[in-house]
Amino acid sequence: MADPTVVGTEPASPALTSEQLDELRLFWEVYEDHYEEVQAGLLESLAGHPELGPLLRRIPPDELEERGRVSRELSRRALLDGEWEPYLVNLRSQGAEYAAGGLSFSAWFAAVGAFRLILLPHLLERFAKDRAGLIRSVNGMNTFIDIAMSAIGDAYLASRQETIRLQQEAIRELSTPVLPVREHLLILPIIGVIDTQRARQLMEGLLQGIRTHRAKVVVMDVTGVAAVDSAVANHLIQTVHAARLLGATVIVTGLSSENAQTLVRIGVDLGALNTVGDLRGGLEEANRILGFRVIQVDDRRSEGTP
Amino acid sequence: MSVPILKQGEYLIASVQSALTDADMLKLQEDLSAEVGRLRSRGVVIDVTVLDVMDSFAVRTLRNIASVLKLRGARTVIVGIQPEVAFSMVQLGLIMVDVPTALDLDEGLALLDAAASEDGADGR
Repeated sequence: MADPTVVGTEPASPALTSEQLDELRLFWEVYEDHYEEVQAGLLESLAGHPELGPLLRRIPPDELEERGRVSRELSRRALLDGEWEPYLVNLRSQGAEYAAGGLSFSAWFAAVGAFRLILLPHLLERFAKDRAGLIRSVNGMNTFIDIAMSAIGDAYLASRQETIRLQQEAIRELSTPVLPVREHLLILPIIGVIDTQRARQLMEGLLQGIRTHRAKVVVMDVTGVAAVDSAVANHLIQTVHAARLLGATVIVTGLSSENAQTLVRIGVDLGALNTVGDLRGGLEEANRILGFRVIQVDDRRSEGTP
Repeated sequence: MSVPILKQGEYLIASVQSALTDADMLKLQEDLSAEVGRLRSRGVVIDVTVLDVMDSFAVRTLRNIASVLKLRGARTVIVGIQPEVAFSMVQLGLIMVDVPTALDLDEGLALLDAAASEDGADGR
């Protein structure tokens, strides 16, 4: 399970000019003066948001307050004292937590939009007679928001990456089963893309399977392999050779018309491959090699036997 | 350290006990060649279960052994190649297509039996 506190990139201090820092501080002054008011306004404004409303209501009020307090302290230390790292770490871990919880990234823009709407009147009021100050404080607000969204965005990206990685692992594990069918006979259905790592896993699984089940014949079905190129063909041929070294014959089945033509066209040496068109034919050939013959037993009911 | 060679009916079983030096491998070749003649064996099983690595010299020598023994009238089967060893071998291209292989001693002897009865059917 993904650890919600894992973040993808190292938090670094944002690269800010001294002018930007001044602007941030100017903004922060106003924000901090009206902090509780802003928080309350935000909560009220977002209560109607389809995602954020329910989410905020789920958090107990004293916890919300605590989070607000921590946030405020971290932001102050970042903007006024230059202690950016704890602030950014906190943002990223929140982002990771909400990403894991399924909050959409766009919900953050709703939050940020509400934030801007609430702050602007306060800035206008403070800098009513100071146009330069107004511009600077608005810049500061925007920079503040940009830094925060950038950190949250990073966290969301890292979380997606982690999910993809886990899914790829799961697919790998699922799709290389070795199936014992009968004594001395294994079926190896291969589905999907075969990269070097999967080919290796396949080979290891097959060789262990041959040893465990004392298999003499393996029917390796590649119906589910979409595209066979020379790399994949090589992997398959190596697998055949390795199985042979453990005394098992491999019958390859299910090469599609397209794949067969591709292999011939790229000139892969298929002399090593024992191939049959489909799985059914492969099993018949396996039976032949193992010395089995399948006979249909008469219908017992017609003979009156229970 | 020479490889012990045991007689089992018409067959010989050479059971590798530990990692073999190049000299050991050549000695095995000589010993098997001599014993096959002395005991008039029709088949030889070389058991490499214990080996956790097989380099190109080892593979080449095994192939030579098979060729030599064939000239001396015996079939050779290599048994007991471990999955990890098989894996490395194919990666290095040491695929040994011309020497029969089997999973273990039982399978190796069964393979020799099957081949012998085929010979019999051919009227040899």
